Amino acid sequence: MRNNKIIWLCLLAGLILSSCRDRYEPDIDAAVTSYLVAEGILNTNGPTTIRLSRSTQLDTFLLRPETSASLVVEGRDNSARPLLNMGDGRFYSPDLNLSMGEEYRVKISSQGYDYVSEYVQAVVTPEVDSISWKLEDEGLRIYANTHDPSGNTRYYRWEYEETWEVRAYYYASYIYLPDGTVRERIMPAEEVYQGWKYNNSTSILTATSAKLQTDIISEAPLTFIPPRDEKLAVRYSILVRQYALDKKGYAFYQMMKRNTESLGTVFDPQPTDIRGNITCVTDPSIPVIGYIGANSITEKRIFINRSQLPAWGFRQTCQDYEVMNHPDSINLAFGGGGLEPYDAVFSEFNPDIIVKYKASGPICVDVRRRGASLTRPVYW
Amino acid sequence: MPDLLNEALAPAGLLFSIDNQDRVFITKGIRVVTALPPGFFNSGPATVKQAEQKDTVRDFHTELTRQRQEASENRLYEVGPRTNTLKGNAIVSGVVRNGKTGEPLINASVFISSAHAAVTDAYGQYSLTVPTGKHTLTIMAIGMKDTRLPLMVYGDGKFNIDIAEQVITLKEVVVSAQKSSNVMQVQMGVERLSVENIRRVPSLFGEADVLRVITTLPGVKTVGEASTGFNVRGGSADQNLILFNDATIYNPSHFFGMFSAFNPELVKDIELYKSSIPARLGGRLASVLDINSREGNKKTITGSAGIGAITSRINLEGPITKDRTSFIFGGRSTYANWLLDLLPDEYKNSRASFQDINLGISHQVDSFNTIYLNGYFSNDRFSLNSDTTYGYSNRNVNIKWKKSFTNKLTGIFVAGFDEYQYKVISEENKVNAFRLQFKVQQLFAKANFTYYRNQQHSFDFGAGALRYGLDPGSFTPSGSESQVMPEKVEREQGLESHLYLSHRFNPSNKISFNTGLRYVVYNFLGPKTVSYYAPGLPRSEDNVTDVKEYASGKFIKTYHAPEFRFSVRYALTNTFSVKAGYNSMRQYIHMLSNTTAIAPTDIWKLSDANIKPQRGDQVSLGFYKNLKSNTIETSVEVYYKRIKDYLDYAPGANLVMNQAIEREVVNTRGKAYGAELMIKKPGGKLNGWISYTYSRVLLQSTGEDAAPQVNNGKFYPANYDKPHDVTVMATFRVNHRFSLSLNSTYSTGRPITLPIGRYYYAGSPRVLYSDRNQYRIPDYMRTDFSMNIEGNHKVHQKTHNSWTIGVYNMLGRRNPYSVYFISEGGAINGYRLSIFGSAIPFINYNIRF
Repeated sequence: MRNNKIIWLCLLAGLILSSCRDRYEPDIDAAVTSYLVAEGILNTNGPTTIRLSRSTQLDTFLLRPETSASLVVEGRDNSARPLLNMGDGRFYSPDLNLSMGEEYRVKISSQGYDYVSEYVQAVVTPEVDSISWKLEDEGLRIYANTHDPSGNTRYYRWEYEETWEVRAYYYASYIYLPDGTVRERIMPAEEVYQGWKYNNSTSILTATSAKLQTDIISEAPLTFIPPRDEKLAVRYSILVRQYALDKKGYAFYQMMKRNTESLGTVFDPQPTDIRGNITCVTDPSIPVIGYIGANSITEKRIFINRSQLPAWGFRQTCQDYEVMNHPDSINLAFGGGGLEPYDAVFSEFNPDIIVKYKASGPICVDVRRRGASLTRPVYW
Repeated sequence: MPDLLNEALAPAGLLFSIDNQDRVFITKGIRVVTALPPGFFNSGPATVKQAEQKDTVRDFHTELTRQRQEASENRLYEVGPRTNTLKGNAIVSGVVRNGKTGEPLINASVFISSAHAAVTDAYGQYSLTVPTGKHTLTIMAIGMKDTRLPLMVYGDGKFNIDIAEQVITLKEVVVSAQKSSNVMQVQMGVERLSVENIRRVPSLFGEADVLRVITTLPGVKTVGEASTGFNVRGGSADQNLILFNDATIYNPSHFFGMFSAFNPELVKDIELYKSSIPARLGGRLASVLDINSREGNKKTITGSAGIGAITSRINLEGPITKDRTSFIFGGRSTYANWLLDLLPDEYKNSRASFQDINLGISHQVDSFNTIYLNGYFSNDRFSLNSDTTYGYSNRNVNIKWKKSFTNKLTGIFVAGFDEYQYKVISEENKVNAFRLQFKVQQLFAKANFTYYRNQQHSFDFGAGALRYGLDPGSFTPSGSESQVMPEKVEREQGLESHLYLSHRFNPSNKISFNTGLRYVVYNFLGPKTVSYYAPGLPRSEDNVTDVKEYASGKFIKTYHAPEFRFSVRYALTNTFSVKAGYNSMRQYIHMLSNTTAIAPTDIWKLSDANIKPQRGDQVSLGFYKNLKSNTIETSVEVYYKRIKDYLDYAPGANLVMNQAIEREVVNTRGKAYGAELMIKKPGGKLNGWISYTYSRVLLQSTGEDAAPQVNNGKFYPANYDKPHDVTVMATFRVNHRFSLSLNSTYSTGRPITLPIGRYYYAGSPRVLYSDRNQYRIPDYMRTDFSMNIEGNHKVHQKTHNSWTIGVYNMLGRRNPYSVYFISEGGAINGYRLSIFGSAIPFINYNIRF
């Protein structure tokens, strides 16, 4: 019996110690791949931006924009609307004035090659019904809900922009200046207590009601905020943009998602080459990545206040220091000691004399050090 | 009168005889023979008499069988009607059985000399041509006592033999049955393994695993670590026909593929045909794996039970009516959830369980008729850390009737039903809750006959039909709140009928031929709605030219073609032979998969108006040499194979719930070639084998009908193309109670599509992939070790027990099962996934009663 126990323990150890996933850096020749990548939609109710870039080698981390191209939006009605080259790989039009139901495509000319996208019909995107959220595993999951009474849309895609307010742990009333002195901050110009952080979606978010009787999307997951995350420390907002897709566009995004976001478990499919709706007319064997659709964009913004989530436990650990009001101490602490002053302690005897400064790490004093911007967004 | 004389004379040691004129002769020592033996004058009426006497012979043997006495070496057995005119050759046939359990013995050698030898078939049946006269008949079988019986052959007759089990004494006994069979057999590319061989191979969690052992043989490659799928000579996993007591098993695995679905306690032996596939079998391109289970003990009720870390099992067998009817039952169940709880957090909520049940009943009506009933059921259910539950099950039942018409003609009739189905259920989101189901059913009947004419000629022939019914998918709402729209992919029906004839011809001891022809007619049947596409254009919604509705039972499309099987053996010496073979095969049911393993959710598809049957043919050549008086077997086999109308998935194919799956597959041709080297030492203290395989399989999209071509129509390696493979399997028997086994395997990593670049899309950097299968994952290497400890070997005790202790993946090597890249929070990270990240110790306890 004792032997049995030991062996079972061995088995346990074997399983616990085995992490089945290891990092892998493939050893492959630097293959020359420089395929054109086109992203964007032809917006029927606002500005249109198409981004062009080139694929790069795997170890290159920078986006390689395609700056020297020319783009024209062509309609079946023989209309042509050139896009303005912004110089950074973006091609822009404030309003293309597209007609609903008409079919459009993009013609791209770059580096001696011509590319065209397939004609797509301009369609209306239904309104976002609501953005809902739920506490889940102590975190927060945010969902999109929509429906199309006409039942024509069926395929949806979302992008989102998150904004959240952050506040410094200490309210900084004082500032250390590069000349080695400390003075009171001039408010509100020098206030660093309140800031806003931003984040954009990085996943492909799609859903379909193709298998449902009615064209309803119920709780399509958009994002998950992990427990105690800073995003919900004060107030959080998400702006969700909704795009109607056609079946082919949906398939394109699904394939891209499958290829790049969920491969590798035992039953997952193998990667497949991604074909969008753009082809190189000059040499059809050259792959092009991208899918250009034409539709309106609908959007919805919601706010979530900290008061709606009483149990949200965001914590910042900050240590309080006191620095004597002496040039040497000030220089040592604030000049290079990694501290910043936020308040002053006055002499008991003379309220005009500062005896020492209260200080803490910059991250606890200045929200900009947490990556926040001090400008209040217009919608806040 | 005779009774009286007997009583009076016997005590005095006197003998008497009475002639036909009622004269009494009393003698001492020798009895006076008063009549000539029948047929002495070889007269006409004697033949009539012979026919009558055949019956008496038959009675004698039935009686013998009923008594089930182990054959005694001390008495003379007589076959055929007694006669004094011994002329020419006679055919002796019968069944060799285990005298203790009544179980027929397969592959037992029955011979009087090397020129007059036979091997028993799957039912223990043998047929032997011998010159009439007195011989010593030798019977050798693994695990049985070598038996030598004095035999007097007068003419054709039946002779059933019960032989004694070998009770292993402390003296080494060399069992040499079938020693030279690899050299002498006509068939090539056949691997036979008994359950003893299988048990010796160390296996994951100590569960003896039929399919895992198969993958250690030359020419057979495993699909992946956690998979019991296998690839034979460049064939895909679905090109293997897996028969379990004649039942087709569509999914032979349990528990994410970590265990095979066959209970090792019930398996008697397995045969894998890689190139010379007998004409009676067909329907798959690459191989046939024939698994036979044991018959129940006809004498007493016995059983066994085993406890392992993941599964436990119980088996029971015994007579229903003694010596005539027996049953065998086996069941396995799992309790693996505790194990899943130990996995990293990402699998925390996973659940898995499986069961399988086998039942076999055999009934001997008389010595000419035997009836077998087989049932098999397996069930799997698991969820991989999600709200989605997967389940699949095999259900098979069949009845078989074996009849010996004459000594020369035997018939086997089988009819049965096979079913495989899977389900995917998701119920967390009430609005989207669904249930997805898939089902394959087949109903079959076949008749196989063996006609043994003489030592030179024998024939196999028969016919059969197989009715397929496929429910390729139904998607239904689960729960009342579900908004899911019920959808059903239309049922498919097909009928595959075949006729075959094969001829074994041994003109001399040196050369023998095996020629077979199989003719298959396949009908795709209504009711069905079929889309037809414009020829020369890609199969897409836009190119549909006609949609036809077919009524029930209507022949929508018929394919028919002959298949050829040929093999020849030439023995240069007694221990060296050359064999060559050609065979062609067709396959009418295809598995479509764009995952690497056999996933439980793979779709099977019948050939129809748009999807042609797969075709393949193979030429092979082999050299076989036995060394050191047949104790070491060596072989080299080479092959070249063509595959046509194979289906690979189109880029980005969606195979689940697809109403028009012909639009998602690309017609592919392939070629496969390779060489297999094997050195085997079947017996002795140290036994085992070393095998090396070189094999390639390359595919190419044909671009038929301007369909999209994978890799622009260039040849590309198939997912399972692994050029080099070395396996060492060794067992060292320290003594009769303790043995050590080591299994070591190396193979080239399988091909993979690797990321070669990156680009930005939808706010994230993303990976650009190479052409399909242009790179390989790192090579695979694994060593397993196990110890078998038997309890004492006393024959007469209530229970026998044994322990198996070992380590799987002893060196703890993290063999990548797959390599993948994901974009996580804006960064691209590459990971290699290994199923077993460390050495896995195991222990298993078995008890027999």
